[in-house]
Amino acid sequence: MSDVVICASNLCVEVQSKKILKHVSFTVHRGEILALLGGNGAGKSTTIKTFLGLLTPTSGSATLAGVNVHQSPAIVREKVAYLPESVMLYGHLTAVENIRYFLSLSGKPKTDADIIESLKRVALQESAWHTVLNGYSKGMRQKTAIALALLREAPILFLDEPTSGLDPVAIDEFNRLVTQLAEQGSTILMVTHDVYGACHVADRIGLLREGEIVGMFDAPDHGNIDSETVHNAFIEGVVA
Amino acid sequence: MSNIVLAIARDEWRYWRRSSLAQTVLVIALTLAIASVWVTHSSISQSAEQRQHMQSAAEHTFTDQPDRHPHRMVHYGHYLFRSPPPLGTLDPGVDAFTGNAIFLEGHRHNSATFADQKQSSGLTWLSKLTPAFVMQILTPLLLIVLGFGVMTREREAGTLDFLKVQGVSPSVLLAGKGVALAGAGILVLVPLVVGAVMTLLNGAALLMVVSFIASYLLYLAIWCGVVLLVSTLATSNSTSFSGLIAVWILLCLVLPRVASNTASVMVASPGKLETDFAVLQQMRQIGDGHNASDPAFKALERSLLAEYNVDSVEDLPVNFRGVVAQYSEAEQTKVLNEFAAQQMRQQTSQADIARQFGWLSPMIAIQNASMKLAGTDLENYHRFLREAEKVRFDFVQSLNTLQAEAMTTAQDTNRYRSAEANRAATVSADNWQILNNFHFTPLSPQQRFSGSLLAFVQLCFVLAMVLGFTLLAGRRI
Repeated sequence: MSDVVICASNLCVEVQSKKILKHVSFTVHRGEILALLGGNGAGKSTTIKTFLGLLTPTSGSATLAGVNVHQSPAIVREKVAYLPESVMLYGHLTAVENIRYFLSLSGKPKTDADIIESLKRVALQESAWHTVLNGYSKGMRQKTAIALALLREAPILFLDEPTSGLDPVAIDEFNRLVTQLAEQGSTILMVTHDVYGACHVADRIGLLREGEIVGMFDAPDHGNIDSETVHNAFIEGVVA
Repeated sequence: MSNIVLAIARDEWRYWRRSSLAQTVLVIALTLAIASVWVTHSSISQSAEQRQHMQSAAEHTFTDQPDRHPHRMVHYGHYLFRSPPPLGTLDPGVDAFTGNAIFLEGHRHNSATFADQKQSSGLTWLSKLTPAFVMQILTPLLLIVLGFGVMTREREAGTLDFLKVQGVSPSVLLAGKGVALAGAGILVLVPLVVGAVMTLLNGAALLMVVSFIASYLLYLAIWCGVVLLVSTLATSNSTSFSGLIAVWILLCLVLPRVASNTASVMVASPGKLETDFAVLQQMRQIGDGHNASDPAFKALERSLLAEYNVDSVEDLPVNFRGVVAQYSEAEQTKVLNEFAAQQMRQQTSQADIARQFGWLSPMIAIQNASMKLAGTDLENYHRFLREAEKVRFDFVQSLNTLQAEAMTTAQDTNRYRSAEANRAATVSADNWQILNNFHFTPLSPQQRFSGSLLAFVQLCFVLAMVLGFTLLAGRRI
């Protein structure tokens, strides 16, 4: 894990004149999973949106594979798959149609067989494949979005509260999937306030508080990060 | 990039296909467009046939009159009918209000009559659902209902950010949505295009038909742009819808009224009563043409007596009463023409002022372009009135000449004394063959096209402005 793929350097972001990120710096290496933990308003989603090019930093830089996303926005389309907190797919389309449509927009079309395979992989029940998303539960939508992210075959994944709304079985499946992707070389930045989930899946955890990184926890070799330590730090941070 | 634009447009259409509101709107729009083209075409074709029949009947009724005194035929009068131009089936323009028939008689300028709008009661105005009305007023409204959420829906659902992450730039997204809206506009335009192409079979000029279709394409493109612009600027579906309805009311209902009111204020025209009194006053000064003893004709009498070197009108080789009729008709016609020309100038000036509002309202611009190209605008109506007046004057003066030359003054003066005297003052019915087959010649296609250029420039200007603002608004996405 020597290649830096995701790099935040002294990143400062203001939204409506309010400082959301204050000199945030971190790196994520190839095949690594970094989880940013924090309470509401800590700046987790802002960090991801900045890397996606949806927000512009007031100072500092956000780079992907050495490319500044705000100077070369095309890097996002080429290398990133994004799983938002509220799954933003079309309610009038079926799971297959949604995935086919978004893949065609990103210039990476796939066959229906590939799409079905991906839906199977995320364990979306077959009866839902050709049903419009308006009738889906949040978990089913989440799975569709994960299937889309997988099909993007993007080397970088941004996951915003990825397990929110999933049942325990689906969370377990998801965690296994994410770990598998990292093992295959994907670089993953996820933001969450699920301490135990993050400790289970991440290689490192950064603790965000009021727009600043206040702690970084590494996983020991072949083991999980100690969730109690992180939990205590998180609670202290949030309370403080 | 064009593939992505088309993919976005296709998805928008897919959304409309699956939305019962959008389906209803499209079905209503298409039904209205088809029905209006069909009904108006049938109705005007029927009217055109009726007019031809009535023109022929009116001519026969006139020529079938028995031997009579010529001046009785002057007052018997005659109807002139004008067939609507081929594209008038799609846009009846001012003809629907002015009418296409005119009654010709001595000493009077009559207005055109038998206007469609005057034949129906106020409650049945909707029965005149013309294709032009559907395209100019209703289609923009239907485009609004169909497309108010093209951008706000993405914003509300949060898919906008997701699209951007897929690498879809705002300009590509706007282009895709614009193509989808344009497709809807073109679909609704199809019945009008078919109707316009069919007018080629009835003698419409190709230049007129192509320009007519192009003007409506530009107009609907503007509305697609307006819908896209407002939907891009609005933060929610409800804001977008209410904003677009406000824009529609302003552009289609308020500004046209403001334009005509401004024109009326800037070029004040006297009312009918005022004009009628003014005309009557001047006509009285000319004298009563039916009374050869009117002091107003003393100078004429003196000059004639001197010219023929005789002492009394009875000794003239011509019928003095007929000469008086010719003279007074010519003089009265000068007065009538002067008032008519003044009224036409005022109406034209008012129309010119109202046309300038086309820079603000595409509805005003398309109305002008459409009527000009269809040949149903004010200028063509004035041309009809002028041509009809020429026919009237020639027809009346032919009869007055007959009166002057076919009998003596004594015969004319004494015609009521006995049946024999009356016969002496009548002329043969063969003389009633003075009416030629009237055929109205509208302005040439080139003239009509040049007349519509201002409206075309206005439409292009508004379209450029709307597209420019939409691109600027796109930067905020």
